[in-house]
Amino acid sequence: MNELMTAIAEHLTIVAISMVFAAIIGIALGVFSYWKPRVGRYIIGIAEIIQTIPSLALLALLMIIFGLGDLTMGVALVLYALLPIIRNTYTSLTELPPYIIDAARGMGMSRQQRLVKVEIPLSIPMIFGGLKVALVNSLSIAVMGVLIGSGGLGYIIYRGIQQRNMDRILLGAIPVVVIALIFDWGMGKAEKRLQKHAR
Amino acid sequence: MHKKRTKITIVLTLALAAILFFTGCAKNDSITIGSKDFGENIVIAEMLSQLVETHTDLKVNRKLNLGGTFVNFNAIKNNQIDLYPEYTGTGLTAHLKMDVVNDPDESYRIVSEEFVKQWDIVWLEPFGFNNTYTLAVTPEVYEKYGVETYSDLIPYAGELVFGAEHEFFDRQDGFNGLVEMYGLNFKGEPMKLNASLKYQAIGRGDMDVTDAFATDGPIKQYSLKILEDDLGFFPPYHAAPIVRKEVLDKHPELKSVLNMLAGKLDDATMTELNYLVDVEGKAVEQVAKEFLTSLNLV
Amino acid sequence: MRMITFFSKNSEAMFASLGQHIALVLIAVGLGMAIAIPSGVLLTRHKKIAPYFLALAGTVQTIPGLVMLGFALIIMGIGTLPALAVLTIYSILPILRNTYTGITEVQPAYKDAAKGIGMTKRQVLFKVELPLALPTIVSGIRISAVYIVSWATLAGMIGAGGLGDWIWTGLATYNTDYILAGAIPSAILAFAFSALIGLVQKLITPRGLRRNA
Repeated sequence: MNELMTAIAEHLTIVAISMVFAAIIGIALGVFSYWKPRVGRYIIGIAEIIQTIPSLALLALLMIIFGLGDLTMGVALVLYALLPIIRNTYTSLTELPPYIIDAARGMGMSRQQRLVKVEIPLSIPMIFGGLKVALVNSLSIAVMGVLIGSGGLGYIIYRGIQQRNMDRILLGAIPVVVIALIFDWGMGKAEKRLQKHAR
Repeated sequence: MHKKRTKITIVLTLALAAILFFTGCAKNDSITIGSKDFGENIVIAEMLSQLVETHTDLKVNRKLNLGGTFVNFNAIKNNQIDLYPEYTGTGLTAHLKMDVVNDPDESYRIVSEEFVKQWDIVWLEPFGFNNTYTLAVTPEVYEKYGVETYSDLIPYAGELVFGAEHEFFDRQDGFNGLVEMYGLNFKGEPMKLNASLKYQAIGRGDMDVTDAFATDGPIKQYSLKILEDDLGFFPPYHAAPIVRKEVLDKHPELKSVLNMLAGKLDDATMTELNYLVDVEGKAVEQVAKEFLTSLNLV
Repeated sequence: MRMITFFSKNSEAMFASLGQHIALVLIAVGLGMAIAIPSGVLLTRHKKIAPYFLALAGTVQTIPGLVMLGFALIIMGIGTLPALAVLTIYSILPILRNTYTGITEVQPAYKDAAKGIGMTKRQVLFKVELPLALPTIVSGIRISAVYIVSWATLAGMIGAGGLGDWIWTGLATYNTDYILAGAIPSAILAFAFSALIGLVQKLITPRGLRRNA
């Protein structure tokens, strides 16, 4: 039981920390893409490319650079979380009705003020949606941590595979799926409520 | 402009904090113990971990099941782990890349000297068992061809599929050296698998011959026939903990604790523990704890 | 450079692995299409239970690859067949979901017009709904293919063949050359599938339905 609790804690920790970084970087890049659409197209393009790289391949390549351990997994998780977050931020900002932007301009707001007081608050539902997708993905990817010396539930699952022990595989797998479903459902509900608010 | 600068500073500070967190996490009062990716090595590393936790104030950061031989060796050289269980034969041929030495004491002496000299890694006292590479064949093969030694395989090799874990093909004391010395020409391309999948493959008849570790549990389980190394290709593989010298110097109490298992694991005992872990699928932590308790070590 | 010597020494084996990998993807996605497209159509005829099925399929998708491969290993053993079973299961959801959305999003006006000129339900499906839903369906196939290229690398763990084998060997022996030999071609393969199917998608989108290119 102790082993399971430690594994869950490790798993959630690395996902949480990566998500914080991914959110900061992703939203920032999303805003930047909105302000400078020409560069923005490249940014999103690169994020799409990263997303297409097979996860095991990216993980192994990162291991070559960063070595074994949590840092490698952390970097991988951040990279894979970027696209949903950047894209949702960007799309939401670009799809804001022009009259709102005009109104804000009319009130004399600078670009930064407009962003912080109007544009981002209105984009929160969609950004949140992107965070949800990124988070659920990360929970699954983090299972591969066992392959590169990082912690988490993957260790239990892998031990189960090695011992041909279905119970052990399930012991590690069920928490991952349950936690992912809880977050997916919970954040989905929150997303809907935020959408109502934004109206 | 102000806001941007503050934002950037915050991000950079967070980044720095995270990097420090990930790479340097609590290195002061803890040691990191690694292990290879098969039952025997994992169970020994777990026992060492439990001994350290019981008899010292140090916390153990377990990185068990890290990967193959080379992953662990690289990790210890790069200070990512502080110790793991290694085998003299492996140290001699795979790491030092020297020729096979058949005398166990001589082989231990050489690795002890060279590892300290080249990498500041210390070999502590051996556990007692010799887990040598062997060749094992399925009972069907044994019945059909009646092979007893490696040399007996030579005429039939063309009809037999050979399989082993990935690293066997990368080592001096591995596939290439073996087939060269004996002149073995196996059928087609050899199968390369993850270590623990080896026995499943041979059990299902996907392959006929495999390298087995002498103390492996599944040997008994699948009634595999161990062949005799008549030309003496494989060196002895006596297992012992190898530790970074820096760590031993920093924590002098470690040495005696890590040596508590010295001579306590003979071939039979190790095979039994492996059987519990690999065949009966018992949890490593439990097997380790029960064994150490039986010796009054925890 | 050492990498170049490695590539030239092993090029034959690497091409063989590439071929195996492509085969795995084509078969898995092909089977996935065969299962998902008819199922998707079926779901559009039973809209009440559709959300449950889609949710179920979605849940399967959250199961980490390592876990599914573990199941396949224990139940079916080592090799290409267990790997294909897992890969096919994973390929279903994107195609299923997109078939369903694609068809449900067809404007009722088109279907009414078709019925109005006397088409049977079957004709409406094949001559109106599917063609209009095709771009969305192909998009789902594209997503599926890219996923499967990725999952197939994991499948190397259970001896499925393909480029994953190289990555696994590299990880097991801490050998950078092997890792690159598996990682780089598989990444390129993923891009190639994405680009090719994306091109097909663009070509078959009727001009009237195209959004900004």
